[in-house]
Amino acid sequence: MTTVNFFKSSRDLSGWFCCNLHMSTWLDLKDNPRLKGIYDTRLKIIKSIREFFWSQDFLETDTPIAARYPGQEPYLNPMRTQIHNPSGAAFDFFLHTSPEFAMKKLLAAGYKKIFQICHCFRDEEEFGGRHNPEFTMIEWYRAPGELLEIADDTENLFKYLGEKLGVKKINYKDFKIDISGEWDRKSMKEIWKIFINVNLDDYLEIEKIKILVKERGFAVCENDAYEDLFYKIFLNEIEPKLGLEKPIFIYDYPAQMCSLSRLCDNDKRYAERFELYFGGLELANAFGELTDAECQSRRLNEDKKLREKLGKQSYPVDKDFINALKSGVPAGENYSKKAAGIALGVDRVVLLFSGAKDINETIFQSAKDQTEFDE
Amino acid sequence: MSSTNEIRKGVVIRHQNDLFVVVEFQHINPGKGAAFVRTRMKSLAAGKVVEITYKVGESVDIVEVEFQTMQYLYKNGANYVFMNMNDYEQVEMNGDLIGDEAKYLKEGIEVIVGLFEEVPVSVQLPKKITYKVVEAPPAVKGDSASGNVTKEITLDNGLKIQAPIFIKEGEEILVNIETGEYSARA
Repeated sequence: MTTVNFFKSSRDLSGWFCCNLHMSTWLDLKDNPRLKGIYDTRLKIIKSIREFFWSQDFLETDTPIAARYPGQEPYLNPMRTQIHNPSGAAFDFFLHTSPEFAMKKLLAAGYKKIFQICHCFRDEEEFGGRHNPEFTMIEWYRAPGELLEIADDTENLFKYLGEKLGVKKINYKDFKIDISGEWDRKSMKEIWKIFINVNLDDYLEIEKIKILVKERGFAVCENDAYEDLFYKIFLNEIEPKLGLEKPIFIYDYPAQMCSLSRLCDNDKRYAERFELYFGGLELANAFGELTDAECQSRRLNEDKKLREKLGKQSYPVDKDFINALKSGVPAGENYSKKAAGIALGVDRVVLLFSGAKDINETIFQSAKDQTEFDE
Repeated sequence: MSSTNEIRKGVVIRHQNDLFVVVEFQHINPGKGAAFVRTRMKSLAAGKVVEITYKVGESVDIVEVEFQTMQYLYKNGANYVFMNMNDYEQVEMNGDLIGDEAKYLKEGIEVIVGLFEEVPVSVQLPKKITYKVVEAPPAVKGDSASGNVTKEITLDNGLKIQAPIFIKEGEEILVNIETGEYSARA
């Protein structure tokens, strides 16, 4: 009997299927015109993103990929590496998960409108589908600047890319998403009302949302944080329906999910943050930046503690980043003026414009391609 | 109860008293929070497809499925017939449950069939399958110049795909089952 015990040997199963067939992406590019077309689109998109931002008077910055003190996001896994000096002394570094800290330091140094296209690294992410452990990100910041201006930049960027590539409607899954007209902008509160007829104001506390999650038929675990409960409803009942006809910005997230954003001036229960969706796919995450050094330091130390509790790698909070905020972002302004910024996944932009079936098709030699070659 | 880490293509999950077979799954990290697993699952009773998202670490009711290497024999109406190579027992499975991948089946190939209480619920094909080209129009001079770098060819199980113009009738080629495209000469 050749019964395969699935639960022990999913890895063996995939090996069974591999039959020593090597994937080699250069050969795919050489022989498969569809894949060549996708890669050509990628190169054109990267060039066009640069053209767009230079034409809008942004400066292209350049910061290290190997960072001593990466971000403290509790659920991200930075890749650790060691660098040795000539006498052999070892220093721990991490491949950055985002250039956010470094770029904000440049804002503190006096840069006002900056953008950067760079590779970012997140360990333990899916090899393919919508993820690759190494991916390309564009981030841009305005200091002074408002979240609304960042949304305008995003919409204008996509329209510019659409013109350059001759695309008005994006075909994604079964959807035709019109990028040429005016895009949708709705608050998280409005979206909950529209799709599930729930007033989010009533569910901003963990005990209350717990009841709602149970009522709607989802599991509640003892250690679920507010945002876990929030996402159980959002990911199942709302996200798949977002941006099916035109792209949509969802803004004003519950304050529990503020991350590095500032709280809204008119309602402190919500934070200045938006995400952009195309056909249920999240493309970008933007913040009205938290520039209060003391508050930021507190939040980062809380995140660091949570990382330790979750058994993640621990490293010190970047004090240089806190000092930069203390000196003022925008430079020399003591919280009197706002700053805003965004991170947008370039591989996903290529996926949408090129009609690729999987993120691996947008990346030359993805982690999956390289590891399958070994087998 | 099992954990979300055990969710794979082909496993069977009991969800609100119905059984579903996982056809697709993807880890997602919404915003900057905890990770979730989004699954697309097909109901074993109704054949209807649902999307359900679980938080990583949440317990999931995965039912035990036995996986057997089997050989595909032939199509019988809407059903596909497979044979267990150890005891020569045959099982039939409806094409709707196999889904789009049914078109890649070719007599004699080995697949892995998932059986729940002896009823087949899923079929996993190899990542690449070798076919013989039975029909390929000859390349015409000037094809490359006019941008025609591929042509439609027919394979020995009747499947039609696009392949580079240098492929000739009688050759054996590999097809990537994930994308349904020409991969290489066999």
